[in-house]
Parts: sequence; C-alpha cells; structure tokens
Amino acid sequence: MAWYHRFWNAIRPARLNRDLQRELAFHLRERIDELEETGLDPAEAARLAQLQFGSFTLQKERTRDMDINLYLETALRNLKYSARSLAKTPGFTATVVLTLALGIGANSAVFSAIYAILLRPLPFPNGDRLVKLGQLQTKAQQPQIAPVRLEDWNRLNGTLEGITGYYTEDTSETTGDLPEKIKRAWVAPRFLQVMGISPAIGRDFSPAEEHFGGPNAILISDRLWRRRFAARPSAIGKTLRLPRTAFTVIGVMPASFRFPDGDVDVWAVSAPDASYAQSRQLTWFSGIGRLKPAVTLSEARANLAAVQASLGKQFPKPDAEIAVAVDPLKETTVHGVRKSLWILFGAVSLLLLIACTNIVALLLSRAAARRQETSVRFSLGASRASVAAQMFTEVLVLALLGGTFGLGIAATASRVFRVLAKDLPRIEEVGLNWTILFYSLVTAVAVTLICGVLPAIRGTRRDLAASLSHGSRTQVAGHNRVQFTLVGVQVALAVTLLACAGLLLRSFQELGRVSPGFDPQHILTFSVSSSWGETADYKGAKQRVSRILDGLRSLPGVETAAVAFSLPGVPGQYQIELKTTEGRAETEPKIIAQARAVTPEYFAALRIPLVAGEMCRDEQVKTTAMVNRTFANTYFNGVDVIGRHLGQPDNLYAATAEVRGIVGDARETGLDRVPPPTLYWCSGALQPGAFFLVRTHGEPDAIASAVRRKLRELEPQRSVYGLTPLTSHISDGYAENRLRTVLLTFFAITAIALACVGLYGTLSYLVHVRQREIALRLALGAMRAQVIRLFLNQGLMVSALGCIAGLVLTAFFTRLLSGMLYGVSSTDAATLGGVAILVIVVSATASLLPSIRAARVEPMQSLREE
Amino acid sequence: MGAKKNDILQGTLALLILKSLDSGKRMHGYAITAHIQRVSAQLLRVEEGSLYPALHRMEQDGWIRAEWGKTEKNREARFYSLTAQGRKQLAQEEESWRRLTEGVARVIRYA
Repeated sequence: MAWYHRFWNAIRPARLNRDLQRELAFHLRERIDELEETGLDPAEAARLAQLQFGSFTLQKERTRDMDINLYLETALRNLKYSARSLAKTPGFTATVVLTLALGIGANSAVFSAIYAILLRPLPFPNGDRLVKLGQLQTKAQQPQIAPVRLEDWNRLNGTLEGITGYYTEDTSETTGDLPEKIKRAWVAPRFLQVMGISPAIGRDFSPAEEHFGGPNAILISDRLWRRRFAARPSAIGKTLRLPRTAFTVIGVMPASFRFPDGDVDVWAVSAPDASYAQSRQLTWFSGIGRLKPAVTLSEARANLAAVQASLGKQFPKPDAEIAVAVDPLKETTVHGVRKSLWILFGAVSLLLLIACTNIVALLLSRAAARRQETSVRFSLGASRASVAAQMFTEVLVLALLGGTFGLGIAATASRVFRVLAKDLPRIEEVGLNWTILFYSLVTAVAVTLICGVLPAIRGTRRDLAASLSHGSRTQVAGHNRVQFTLVGVQVALAVTLLACAGLLLRSFQELGRVSPGFDPQHILTFSVSSSWGETADYKGAKQRVSRILDGLRSLPGVETAAVAFSLPGVPGQYQIELKTTEGRAETEPKIIAQARAVTPEYFAALRIPLVAGEMCRDEQVKTTAMVNRTFANTYFNGVDVIGRHLGQPDNLYAATAEVRGIVGDARETGLDRVPPPTLYWCSGALQPGAFFLVRTHGEPDAIASAVRRKLRELEPQRSVYGLTPLTSHISDGYAENRLRTVLLTFFAITAIALACVGLYGTLSYLVHVRQREIALRLALGAMRAQVIRLFLNQGLMVSALGCIAGLVLTAFFTRLLSGMLYGVSSTDAATLGGVAILVIVVSATASLLPSIRAARVEPMQSLREE
Repeated sequence: MGAKKNDILQGTLALLILKSLDSGKRMHGYAITAHIQRVSAQLLRVEEGSLYPALHRMEQDGWIRAEWGKTEKNREARFYSLTAQGRKQLAQEEESWRRLTEGVARVIRYA
C-alpha cells in the first residue's frame, strides 16, 4: 500500500510534516540529554548535538522524500502555480479557455454524431452480425424478396443463424372514436430471434402464430403502449382492431427497439405459407439475416450465391436470373450520410487546429512577456525540463478547462444537431456518453501537446538568461516570424473552410434557382391509410381512390387533386427496364426509365405541360401511359413513341400500357438531377403510402382541416396523415444537404473569426513590444500615417500569403466535395475570389485597430518610461 | 568523499535495523542507533542522515510499522516494530549477508 500512502502524503502533506518534525526533534532532544549526562553544559550539548545531526531541514526533507510520491508532488506544485498565474491574467485565460471550449466542443459534438451513427454497432445484440439481404434481378431494380424464396434461403444456407424479412404499411386502428393512423410492420417468421431482441413485457410470436391461419397476434411499440394502454401491463391480451382483422396484443417491445424505423407502432406476422405468398415472382420482403459467429461477409455471400444457383436449377424461371445481395445492415443504414459526417468532422478538426494555432501564438506572447521570470528561475538552478513542465502544466490546465466547457457546448450542440438533422439515420442515438467524455479528454491532452511544444521549446531557451541583464530594453522580439507564420496558417485554414462552405452555399442557391419543370407551390400532400392486402381488390381500391379525389375536388379552394406513388422533387428512384411490344432491334439501346404511377390529373395539378399527343385519361379497359420529352427523344424519334405499347414482361404487377402523349421534362427525382427518361402509368397509385396531391388556390395549410373533414365523411374507418405542403417535403428531402451547408458555414465563420482574433492579438502584441521604437521614430519625425501603414502592411501581407496558401489547400479539399456541388464548379472563380476579398477585408479591419493604436503612441511619455 | 571506518556499508543498514527490532521490542529511532552502537561495541555508528530515510522507506515497504508512544522520560516518540513481512525480509537479508561475508572471507584467505 506504499503507493497509496505516498499518494495521500503528496496531496495532504501537513500531517506528514508535523510527524517528521516531532520525530526528528525527539531524536535531537535525546542526543542532547545524552551529551549532558557526560557532563557538558546544556548550551554546549545542544551545539554539539546540532553539529552531529547536520542540517535539520535537509534531514527532514530527505526522510520526507521516502514518504511521498515525488512526481505527484511536483505535478501538484506546478498545478498550484499554474492556477495562480492563470488567475492573475484573467483576460488571457478567458480567451484561451473560450477558444478551446468552442474548438473542443464543436469537435466533440460532431464526433458524438460520428460515433453514434457510423462507429457504434447497431443497437441490437451483436448488431455487427446483422446483414441486409436482397434479390438482385437483371431486369428490375426490386431488392424485395419473394416469401417462398426467403424461406428457401433460410432453410438451405449454412452461414446464417436465421433469415427473416419485413415490409411496412400505414394503417388505421379503429378501436377508438376516430381511426388512428398507425404504422404496421409485417414480419416474416423468426423476426425477433434474428434481431436478437425480446419483448420488454409479454412474449415473442409462437410457432402457431407464424403460420397462415394461426391466431392473429401482434407486438406493439413502447410508444403505442403508453399512448393507448397508459403503460399498463394489462395491455397484454387486449385486442387491437385493425382493418378487417382484430389482433391480440402478446407483447410490448422495448422503447429502444426502432426497427425497421422509429415510426413503427405494431409488428404482425406475414406468414410465408399463405396461399397468396407461393408465387416465386411476387416479392415483398426486405431481408434481414444474422451471420453465425466467426462467419465473414464473403463466406455468407458465396454460400448464398451457391444456394441461389441450386434454386436456379430447380426453378429456372425466374430464379436463374436472380442473384443475392448481402450487405452489412449498418452499412446500408448509414451509407448515405457517411461522407457528409466525415466532411463535417474534417471541418471541425480544422477549426480546432486553428484554435490551437491561435493559442500557440498567445502562449508565445505570454512566454516572451515572462522572459524575466524564466531567467530568474534558471539562474536559481531550475532545469530546462522543470521550467518546460511548468509551462505544459499551465497549458494542460487551460486545455482541461476548455475541454470541460467544451463538453457543455457539445451537450447543447448535439441537442441542436438532433433537431437540425432529424432525418439522419440513427440520429436518436446521438448523445453524450463516456466515450465522448473520454474523447474530449484525449482531445484536450492532444491540444496540450500541440499547443505546448512550441512555447515550451522557445520559452525555455537558455540564452534567454541573457535577457535578465537586458531588462526590457529589447526593441523587436525575435520570434515575430513564428507568430506571423502561425497567423498565416490560421488564415489559410480559414480560407479553405470558407471556400468549401462558399461552394456548398452557392450550390444550395443554384438549387433554389433551378426551374424544376413543375410547380411545387400551393400543393397540399397527405396519405390515407390502406393496406397491401387491399390492393388485391383492384377495382374496389380504384373506386375508393376516385371517390376520394372527387370529394376533394368538390371542396372550395381546391383546383384539382391527384394521386402519385412518389412525390415529385423529393430524391428517390424507381428504375425499370421496358420492352415495347412493337419490337425493337437488338442494336437499339435498352429502354431504362424511371417509372411513376399517377392519376391523369397529376400533370394538371403539377402544371407539367403537354408537349405532343394527348393527355391520358382514366380508361377502364386499357392501361395508358405518358412519357416525358427526354424519354421520347432518347429511345424513340420524338413523337414516334405515341401509340406504342410499353411493358415489363417479367413483372406481374405492371400491365402493358399504351403511350398517349409526351409531357415536358420535370426534375421529379430531385431538384439537383437532370430529368431522366420517365414513364408515367396513368392508372393511379393504389399502394399504401401513396400521396394525394391537392392543388389549392390559397395557402395549402389553410384547407387541411377541410380535407380532414371530407375524408372523415367519405372514409370514416381510415386515418388521414402527413398533411404537409409539397414544398416542405422537398426541402426535407434536402435536409442533409442543408445541414451540411449550415454547419460548414457556421464552422467557416468561426474559423475566420478566430483567425482575425489571432491577427489582432499578434499585431497588438507587436505594437506593445515595439512601443519604444515607434516612439523613437515619431520623435525623430516619422508621420503617424507611416506608422499605421507599417503595421497595416504587415497584417495584410500575412493574410494575403495565408489566402494564397488557403486557395492552394482548397484545390485539394474541394475534391472531397465532388458530388455534393450543384451548378457550380469546384474552382468557381466568383466564390473563391469572393472568399479572398472577404478575408482580406476582414483581416484589414482586424489589423487596423492595433495599427491606429501604434500611431497614437505619445513619444515623450513612452521614452520616459524607460 | 573518503569512507570513514565506522560508516555502515550501503544496504546493510536495513539488516541492522531489522535485526535490532527482531527481539520483538518496540524501539524509537534514537534507541535503534544506541542499540546498534552498543551491541557492536562502538564499532558501528548509524548516521541520522541515513537512519530516518531508511526507517521511513522500510515503513512504506511494509517491513516495519510505526506508532506514537511515550518513553520512560514521558516524551512523545515514534516507536517502530517488525511486521511479518519484515521478519521474512530479515531472514533473507541475513542469508545474503552470510553469503557475502563468507565469499569475501574466502577471497581474502585464498586469493
């Protein structure tokens, strides 16, 4: 336990000192007694004893060293000294701590997002073993899996513990007065086993419940449990009435379970042995599998490929043409935001680097101002290492203070981040935890090392001892070059950030200016709950939709109404390959197009103009279609396409359709994308989750309640949800883009502000150091304007050089932005030039104040101060 | 710094202290010095400058334990006594001392 005592003795030395004092004093006393006994007089005895004993203080200290942890003691002394000297310069301390708090805080906040979204495994036991499965077909881009095939894979593979699947739909729960919209996930057998999650209360599905015709059991979300059953355990066994079926609640899932997504309220079994699920061509499950321990992804891929190959022999059509896609579930979840997050992390790291550079410059000035003190310490015998240790301790104290405040900032920032980025995957998992705390601590230590080294080396040079004799006579500090280099680096990094932010901002601006080919204004969108099962009754579903549309059109303030499966302008793809029944030469390119299912009024509602042919109508007998201009021009010679029949022979869902006309190009797959060749099926969209689009005369929000009332009258059993103007859907679609732009701009502005503080600080310090020189110049007849120019030029020179370096850096960094820019090249002269001018103007302003102060020096007063 | 005759060989001080405490009696620092001096017939003299650092190091190492007590003259003193660990250490030190002296003696005799 020696270390323990030594540790405490270092922290609370008072008692140890008292004991030592008593023990040694006793020894001395005994010796004196002994000497007195030999006949010496007391004074002589005391003198002799003292002589024998040697220096009391030295003995005490040597003994004390045995009882104490010397490193700790030195560290504590340094700490105390640092605290005292930092408290003496509150301005300096506050500046550094605030700068670091911002730097470390922003860094930790972005890291907390990276950690939660990209680094941490999915919130399932052994989540890194979960994979997403899909079937790849050469003909169609439909990764969904046929239930029978899912079961085949599960039975025949040897590398996965289990395979399950799911799909979702929005439906209504009708136990209460009003139908309530809930999101239902239909899951394949083994769902919870594969996810590795058990219900918080209640039980998993029983084997009987996973078969067709078995009891209708349902698992509910924690949210629904609290909302509907007031979190009472008695909810188990209660009945939930959903359209056409009543389900018995068998369990409540934990609040943390948010799969397939956070909106799902209930999970029910979609039995693969149902009669309607036996076709190998009808696909609906998204597949999820769990790898066996120690099985690699490539082994699983090879294994499933072999399984599918044997299925291909057994069922040549269609299995021979199908391949299996196996990807880590986490990867497929977060893939889209990976690049953005790392770019943001890069930006905050640059910001932290700027903050560090700034602090190095401040520390150098401080070290220079304390030369005399350092010299005194050297001449009293301090070693260079001990002086450097003292300086490092001071930086560490600053960094830890900065880190602590930074964590506060990070906590706030990650809350803001969660709001700003609510559409990012796994965003609900972002928050502070021990890892982030540890990360901040490591960052603070790293900052200490980065910031401490240069001042410690330069500030402890032996030749400084000479300055003891010089007093404060030195005219120009020798390390100006280092400080100006540091400022230059700051400017360069700030320019880089500003340029990247500028390019993103310009892209965003361009995006807003784009003419999308349709009019998203004054459109209210919403959905009406329905289920996939209902689509079996095609006629009934169609009648229902047209009844709703008629009802909507009858509302005052409504111009027209339509239904579409996907929203125009919101990024999304549904690509298919089409064949024409009129035949097509082998040499001609394959017809690959985006498919959109709409009702004929869609074009009128969105103001997409008719270019040629006629507008499609809802026809009972025939399926009709429209194509856009790009489609007609790419695959046919323009109007040739009219009257052609297009279809997907392999897709049972899609009937062959006759093309009636050509409409104008519209940027429906995203405002930043050139309109691709597009085919519109005019037979409407009956799928659950399809969007109703209502063109209004006034503000779309104003008629929301009228729409609700109308739907209540027409469809009392269905819930209406997601009443949102089309424009906000479109801007939500670019939320990640906007987040990236907003944050990067914020970081860039902070960066330039820091660089200006650095420039201002360095020049101010310089003016201070050279005060006597300026006074001399003025006394000898220099003009004040000359003095101003002297310093201003220095500031401008540094920022100009920094600008040039920054623009060179930008050339490297903007490569990372490729694919994120729209309508602006990464070397856009206007943006880069604008950034350069901005930086020069801002740094000129920052230089002006200290320069003017220099010119205000009163020569006589300054010189007399000697 | 020439070594004086009665200087205690580096490393043997611990052995001497442990042996002094082996009787089981508690002793304060001054008594230990006196004891060593007396038993060695004034051949060995313990310097205060070495004694107290050694005592405190041994205490931290757990060989001896210290407590405050009163002397016959009713003075406050810090008394040391042997711990079980210290007894083990003493056996080891005695053994290595025997080997050292035997070795040195042989070298002197036959070399």
